[in-house]
Amino acid sequence: MSRLDIAKQRLRAHAEHHLRVAAMEELRARHPAGTTAPYHERGELFWRRVFVPMYRRVPWSVKERAMRTLRMTAASSGWTPPPRRPAEPWRPPAQAGTEASSRSSR
Amino acid sequence: MGGRLIVIGGGGAGTAAATIAKRLDPSLRVSLFTEFEDIAYSPCGIPFVHGREIPRFEDLFLSTVDRYVAEGLDMRMETVVTEIDLDRRVITARNQHEGFDQLIVCTGFTWEKPSVPGANLEGLHYVKNIRKAMEFDKVLDTVKTVAVIGASPLGVEMAGNLGHRGLDVHFIDEGPWVLGEVLDPDSAEPVHESLRSRNVTLRLGTKVEAFIGDDRVRAVATSDGEIPCDIAIICLEKLPNTALAQAAGLEVGTTGGLIVDDHMRTKVPGVFAAGDAIEVPHGLTMLPIRGLTGSHAYAQGRTAAANAAGEDRVYDPVWIPWGLVGGDYTIGGFSIGETLATAMGIPYVVAKGVGVSRARYYPGATKTHVKLLAEPGTLKLIGGQLHGGEGVKERCDFLAFAAKRGATLEDLAWMENIYSPPIGALFEPIAIAAQNGLSELRQARKQAAREAVTV
Repeated sequence: MSRLDIAKQRLRAHAEHHLRVAAMEELRARHPAGTTAPYHERGELFWRRVFVPMYRRVPWSVKERAMRTLRMTAASSGWTPPPRRPAEPWRPPAQAGTEASSRSSR
Repeated sequence: MGGRLIVIGGGGAGTAAATIAKRLDPSLRVSLFTEFEDIAYSPCGIPFVHGREIPRFEDLFLSTVDRYVAEGLDMRMETVVTEIDLDRRVITARNQHEGFDQLIVCTGFTWEKPSVPGANLEGLHYVKNIRKAMEFDKVLDTVKTVAVIGASPLGVEMAGNLGHRGLDVHFIDEGPWVLGEVLDPDSAEPVHESLRSRNVTLRLGTKVEAFIGDDRVRAVATSDGEIPCDIAIICLEKLPNTALAQAAGLEVGTTGGLIVDDHMRTKVPGVFAAGDAIEVPHGLTMLPIRGLTGSHAYAQGRTAAANAAGEDRVYDPVWIPWGLVGGDYTIGGFSIGETLATAMGIPYVVAKGVGVSRARYYPGATKTHVKLLAEPGTLKLIGGQLHGGEGVKERCDFLAFAAKRGATLEDLAWMENIYSPPIGALFEPIAIAAQNGLSELRQARKQAAREAVTV
């Protein structure tokens, strides 16, 4: 694995961790019963005080576009989400097998 | 099609891959390599045997090696694959080279180990292999106090079951509530209560700093002080076991899982991967994720097998229905909850409701709490969480499918449902939640319109 790959993994893990902890703090304020404060590592001020507020300021639609442009989504690995609307009627697959074939013409 | 297919790994994905490939194309010569002695058992059942909900470990076995052999599979038990050569298309195991035409990598996961002093002491246990679990069960007969580290799904099940067995359990996690990565605090509260009723002491918001002992652990040093224990069970993150595949040159993504396409193909022709070793996209965001359930691993193994056998099988991005029993309480959900939506900055509206699992007068009826998250504007379903008793699992499965097909709160508010007193109430809890949500949205719109007129 290249250094860049390792850096990408660490970046994602750190970002997710700090965004999640910030979200927990926010939800805990709304539902204080039965919860306690999450543990905070000392330091890591950049993530808590700079990254999280900046990330939150950007609208989701912009973040979504940016993730697609930066090839962070699985679309770059050949994945396509099925349409989230009623599908066309099922038709038998062209080549019948023991297991029914799935959408082949996506 | 024929040729030789080698499957590496004997877990859910590997077993499914080998058996389905052989079934679909009997001319395939299928060899399955696993480092373990056993195959086709349910590792997910181990906590419940420890908790004496299930009497015997033998009950977890679903099949035998002989049965797979009888089906025509070449079973290589206790055989570690040490190298994959993708150019020569051979694997190495026990210093022997074995050629393949197609390969399916299902090497599963390893548990994250705590990176603190004392993590190599005796008495730290990881749940995975059934034979080790059988031995560990005898150890449990000799101890009184257990520290369970990590409020993951396995952690919750182990803590609840060991409490049920009568042990003193200290349940330690850095998060503010159990299952903090997926669960919302309102759904976590009844789980906390149920775990406490099983003699589990919750140590939340608490970091493990070291394991203390000479040769064997006798306490856990935490940010909240020292907690004595006879043994510690580590239930941290599931990490994809990709070292072998990476050494061969297969690519991993940002989660650390192997990159595959929607046919479970890696970028090397004829080489597939499936199960806990891979990453797949989330249906809502299309971001790669990993560490899903056994049923996901099984379905991915089937997909890889079908494609290896010459079919054209697509695996969809996942909407992740999930559920488990925390103490005596059932929790579940699909896609995302409020915690994850807030963390990612995904806008949502909430619809909440409480119904009953059967007619309210029928014995055994339990409350079912439903929380749905929908996209503002379209009101398409994007996530949800449920808690209660019976029927939570089935509702989560249904909702994940409904979300995948683009169902809206409006659809769910007017859904049909079964009414039969012993199995279903007149008012479906999901429909109640959706109706409540729509009603609140209408009121909010009216209020906004009134305010606009006033201004």
